[in-house]
Amino acid sequence: MTATDGPRQSHHLLLRRLHSLSGLVPIGVFLIFHLTTNASVVWGAANTRMPGEGLERGVQTFQHEVSWINDMPGLLLIELSLWLAIGFHSILGVVYAVGGKPNVGAYKYPDNWRYTLQRLTGYVGIFFIFYHVATLRWGWSFLVPGGTVWSHEYAASTLAAALRGSYEGFTGAGIAVSIGYFLGVTCLVFHFANGLWTSAITWGLTVSEKAQKRWGMVCAGLGVGLMGAAWMALIGFLLTDPVDARALEEGMLSGAHEVQAEQDEGAIGSAEPGREP
Amino acid sequence: MAIAYAHESTADQRRANRTRAVEGRTVLCRVRRCDGPGKAGRWESFKVPVEPGMNVIACLKHIAQNPVTVDGNTTTPVVYDAGCLEEVCGACTMLINGMARQSCSCLIDEYAPLEGDTITLEPMTKFPVIRDLWVDRARLFQSLTRVKAWVPIDGTYALGAGPKESPEVQQDRYDMSECMSCGCCLEACPQFTIEPDEASWDTSFIGAHAISQARLFNGHATGKELKNDRLDELMNPGGVSECGNAQNCVKVCPKGVPLTESIATIGRQVTIRSFTRFFSGK
Amino acid sequence: MSQERVIIVGGGLAGLAAAVRIAEDGVPVDLFSMVPVKRSHSVCAQGGINACNEVARQQGYSEYQHFDETLYGGDYLADQNPVLEMTNWAPKIIDLLDRMGVPFNRTPEQNRDLRLFGGSLFKRTHFAGATTGQQLLYALDEQTRRFEAEGRITKHEFWEFLWPVTVGEGEDKRCVGITAQDMRTMQIRSFRGGAVVMATGGCGLIFGKSTNSVICTGGAASRCYQDGAWYANGEMIQVHPTAIPGADKLRLMSESARGEGGRVWVPRKKGDTRKATDIPEPERLYFLEEKYPDYGNLVPRDIASREIFDICVNQGMGVSGQNQVYLDLSHMDPDYLTRKLGGILEIYEKFVGDDPRHTPMRIFPGVHYSMGGMWTTYTPGSYEPRARHGVHNPGDAAPVDTEVGRGMELGAHNNMMTNISGLYAFGEVNFAFHGATRLGANALLSCIFDGLFSGVSVANYVRDGAPKSDPTSELDQGVFDRVTAQEQSKMERLLASGVGDSDPTDPTHNPYAIGHELGVEMTAASTVVKTGPRLEQCLTKLDELTERYQGVRLSDGSMWTNQTLSYARAVGDMLILARVIAQGGLLRKESRGSHYRTDYPDRDDPNFMKTTIGRFNPDGTCSIEFKPVRADLVEARARTYGGSSKSKKSEPRQETVATS
Repeated sequence: MTATDGPRQSHHLLLRRLHSLSGLVPIGVFLIFHLTTNASVVWGAANTRMPGEGLERGVQTFQHEVSWINDMPGLLLIELSLWLAIGFHSILGVVYAVGGKPNVGAYKYPDNWRYTLQRLTGYVGIFFIFYHVATLRWGWSFLVPGGTVWSHEYAASTLAAALRGSYEGFTGAGIAVSIGYFLGVTCLVFHFANGLWTSAITWGLTVSEKAQKRWGMVCAGLGVGLMGAAWMALIGFLLTDPVDARALEEGMLSGAHEVQAEQDEGAIGSAEPGREP
Repeated sequence: MAIAYAHESTADQRRANRTRAVEGRTVLCRVRRCDGPGKAGRWESFKVPVEPGMNVIACLKHIAQNPVTVDGNTTTPVVYDAGCLEEVCGACTMLINGMARQSCSCLIDEYAPLEGDTITLEPMTKFPVIRDLWVDRARLFQSLTRVKAWVPIDGTYALGAGPKESPEVQQDRYDMSECMSCGCCLEACPQFTIEPDEASWDTSFIGAHAISQARLFNGHATGKELKNDRLDELMNPGGVSECGNAQNCVKVCPKGVPLTESIATIGRQVTIRSFTRFFSGK
Repeated sequence: MSQERVIIVGGGLAGLAAAVRIAEDGVPVDLFSMVPVKRSHSVCAQGGINACNEVARQQGYSEYQHFDETLYGGDYLADQNPVLEMTNWAPKIIDLLDRMGVPFNRTPEQNRDLRLFGGSLFKRTHFAGATTGQQLLYALDEQTRRFEAEGRITKHEFWEFLWPVTVGEGEDKRCVGITAQDMRTMQIRSFRGGAVVMATGGCGLIFGKSTNSVICTGGAASRCYQDGAWYANGEMIQVHPTAIPGADKLRLMSESARGEGGRVWVPRKKGDTRKATDIPEPERLYFLEEKYPDYGNLVPRDIASREIFDICVNQGMGVSGQNQVYLDLSHMDPDYLTRKLGGILEIYEKFVGDDPRHTPMRIFPGVHYSMGGMWTTYTPGSYEPRARHGVHNPGDAAPVDTEVGRGMELGAHNNMMTNISGLYAFGEVNFAFHGATRLGANALLSCIFDGLFSGVSVANYVRDGAPKSDPTSELDQGVFDRVTAQEQSKMERLLASGVGDSDPTDPTHNPYAIGHELGVEMTAASTVVKTGPRLEQCLTKLDELTERYQGVRLSDGSMWTNQTLSYARAVGDMLILARVIAQGGLLRKESRGSHYRTDYPDRDDPNFMKTTIGRFNPDGTCSIEFKPVRADLVEARARTYGGSSKSKKSEPRQETVATS
C-alpha cells in the first residue's frame, strides 16, 4: 500500500479540486457577469433612463456598464487573477483531458456525449478566450479583420466593428469572426453549466441519482439562461451599426468629459476612432 | 471506429429483434483472434446454425467442435474465458458488437435475428489479450487490494455475531456487493486506459468497481475501521478524482450496481477527509 | 529448513475457508485455481445456508434437529459423526460470515432474516438476497485477499491441477505436493506442500449440460482417484427437477413456479411442431395431473423429476423431440405473476428470450450436485450414546450438547483426509456429509465447515505430523520431477495426436464430440431413473468412448493458452470417473435418496447402508467395495416425509431436494 502522507497525494487531490473550484470561482462567476453585461445591449432597450429607443438605449446601457466596470478600483488585479485562474484551469484541463479516451463511437449514451463535449468545448474555449482577450483586451488588432481596436469608451461600436470586419458593413472575415464568437460562447456556456453539474458529484454534494438529476435540471436551466444571454448579446451587437453606435458613445463621452475633462486626453481623443494610430 | 456494427443494442431493440428472429437460420460469427501477447490480430468468420435460445457461448462451443471458417479453412477453437454461464461469475465478458457484456446472457436472437446477420466478438480492449477473446484482468483484482476491500475481522474464532444492520443499509450494501468484477464498467470508461505495465497500476485510474467496493466497506460497522486508509488511497493519483463523469459505468453494469452514486459518495467522503486531515493533521 | 507449506487446490467456498483458516494459524498457503477465485462455482448457489438460530431454537428447533434432518434427508448414507459436528458448528459459521460483512437479509429490528427451506418445518435458512453463495464466496475472497496482501497466502490463479505428487505405497502412501500447469503459458511444474487440500467441487460436466460451471469437470478428483485416492458414493448425483435447458448449460428455475400454479405438460402428439400457444387444450397431456390427481403438479420433487424424465427419455414425448417439457404459467394473470415471481421470470426471459407470462417455459431435470466425492476419514468425537437415538421431535431435549468436538475431534490430523496421508478433500469433492441426497441450503454449510474445522487438522498435520519428521522441502527433487515429466509427456502425446491431418469436425476422435456423447449417455443412464440393463449399456458406451478417446485428435496444437488441450485432457479423466459413477449405480441394487433403480425400488439397509468405495485399477477398470456406514448415533428411519404418497398437499414444500 502506498504511503498515506506522500507528497504526490496531497498535490494530486488538491490540484484536481482546485481545477474544479477555479472553474466555478472565479471563472464561472465572471462568466455570468460578463454575459449579463454583454446582454445589456439587448436588455438595455428597456432601460428608460437612457435616451433614444430600442438598440440605441441598449448601446448606451452597455456603454454605461462597461464604464462602470472600467472604473472599478483594482481592476488590473481582478483581471490578473482571472487570467491566472483561466490559465491554471486551461493547462490542467488539457493535461487531464488528454488522459482520457472518448468512446462515444461504441457507447452512444447522452452522458457519454456530455463527457466528450466537455473536453471538446474546453479545447475550443481555450482558443476562443485567447483570441477574445488578445484582440479585444490586449489590442492585438492584427488578428482582427479590419484591424479594429476595442475601446472601453466606445465599447459597442468597436465591438460591432470587430464582429463585422469593418465599420462599413459585414466582410467575409467578419462573418467568420462572428461565427467564431457564436461557437465560442456556446462552448463556454455548455462547459460551465456541465462543469457546474459534475462538480457537485466531484465534491460529493449530489450523491443519489435523483439528486444528480435534480441538480442537472438546475444546471441545465442556468445553462439555457446563459446561452440565451450570450446569443442575445451577440445578435444585439451584430445588429448594432458601428457608426450609429459611435455617435451615441461620443454623446455619452462628451457628457462625461464635462465632468472629468482633465482625464483621458491622449488615448482615443486624437486618433481616428477604433483605428491604429 | 474501424468497424461498423449492424445492430444497436438497446433493450427495446433487442426485444424487438427477438420477435422477428427467423427459425433455422445461420449466424455469421466474426471473431477477433490473436495468438498471444504481441502477436498480430486477425478476423475469422464462422457460420453457425442457430438453435432456439442460443447464446454466444453456444456459438463458441459449436465453433470449438467445428473449427472451420466460412472460407473453408481449418483453424483452432476460439479461446475465451467462461465460468458459471449464469451471469454471476463475470468471466465471459467480451465485446459483442463493440460493447462490453457477458456472452452467456447474450442471445443470438437479440443481436442477429435474420439469416446471415453478423455478430462480432472481440476481446476487451482495456486489458492485455492473452489469447483470442481471453484477456488478463489481474489489475481489476489488484484494485481491490488497493482499496482494502475487506472487513478487518479479528479472526475466524467464535466471537459472536457481527454488528447489527438496518434492512436499508443491508439493501444498499447488497446492491454494491453484487459486483462480480467483470470489468464492463472499466471497459466502457473513457478515463480507464489499458496499462500493460504492472508498475503503473498503483497510480492509474482505479475505476468505478473498486471505488464502489470502497464505499461498500466504508458502510460496514467494522469495515469502517479502514475507511481512512481507503480514502487516502482514493485521494492518490488514479483515485476517485480521475473520474470524468461520463457515467458509462453505471449504464453497462450488468448487475445494476449504483456505481455513480458510489463515486459521488466517495467524492463526498474524500472532501470531508481532506478537510479533516488538513485541520487535524491526521 | 524452510517452513512447510500447504497447497490448496480450488478457490471456492471450501478452498477459501481452508486457506483463511490455515493461514491464520501461521502456515503459509499456496492456493491454486483454474479461475480467479472470485469466479469459482460457489457463486451460483442461490438459496441460503442452514443453521439453528435463536428464533427457531425457542420454537423447539436445535442443532441436533438440524443434524437429524440432514441424516434423514441423506437417507442415512452419511457417517453420522461428521454431520453432528457440522450442524453444531452451523450457528458459529453464520456468526463468522456475519462478522466478515456478508449482507444477510435483515428484519426491521436489524436481526438476520430467515426463510423456510426444504426438509424442515422451521425457518433456519439464512440468506443474502437471491445470491447467497456469491455473497459468502465474496466474503471469503476478501479475507483471502487480505491475507494475500500480508503475504500469508500465495494465489496461483489460472493454474490447473494435473496430478498429486506422492511417495510410498499402500498405507504409507503420502502426498507431498502437486503438479500443475499454467493455463496461459502452458508451463508445467511441481510444487511442494506438507499437505494438499483438494477443494475442487463437483463433476457436473460428466453429465454434459448441468447446472454446474464449465470448470466443474471432476477432472481433479479423477486424477487423485487414478493415483490411488478412493472415490465414494459416486452414484449419488442430485438432480434438480426444474432446470431451464439452454444450448450451453442448464440453469435453475425455482420450484416456486410450480408452487404458484404452474402446470406441466407435453403435446399429446409425439413430435408436434406447433407452437405451444397454438396447441389447443385437449391436445395437451398434463401428465402429472393425470397420473397423480391428488397432488397434480405439486408432486414431490423426486417424483416430478422421474416423471418428466420418463416422458422425455423413455417415451420420447419431449417438446420438439428434445429433453424438455412445458412448465406453463401463461394461463395466469401476468400482473399476479410479476408480483409473485418477477425475479425468476426475468431470469428465464434473459436467458431464453421468451416471456413466461405469455409463453410456456421449457424445463427439464438438471444434474445439480454430487453427494459423492473423494472418500475421507475422521476421528470421532466424544459423543458416544449407549443406544442409537430414536425419532427426534421438535421441542425434545437434544441428547447431546453443542460443545466443540462432540461429533469429530477438533484438530485430529485425519479429519477429512483421504486414504492417502496428507491429501485432504473439502467441500463438494468430499463425500462426507450429504449421504444419498443433500438437503437444500446445506451445501454452503458443508463447504465452509470443512475449511474452518478441518483446516485446523491440516495445520496440525503439517506442524506435528509426517511433514515435521520428514519435511517435503528436504525430499529429493526427483520425486517431483518424475510427475512433472509424466504430465509433460501426457501433454506432448495429446498435442502430437494429429493436429491438422484429419477432418477436425469428424466426431470420432473429436474431444468435444466425445465429451458431448459422454454427457448425453450419463444423463440418460445414470441420473433420475436407473436400471441394471441401462447401466450396463452405459458401461459399454463408456468402453466405446474410451476406445475412441485413445485416438483423440486435438484441433489446436498451440503451446500457448491451449484450452482444447485442457478440455481434452479432462475428458479422459471424466471418462474414468464416469465409470465409477455408473458402476457404483449398477452394483448398488437398491433405491436410496437420489439413487432410484426401477428394478430395485426399495431401500435395503442390511446390504446397502454402506458407502460405495471405488478404487482405480492400473488397467483403467474400477473395483467397487461397500463399506458399512458408521451409524452409532441415530436409528435409521424410513424416509417418507410424513407418510406415504397420499397425505397433505403441502408436502412438496417439505421435500428434501432443494435448490441452492
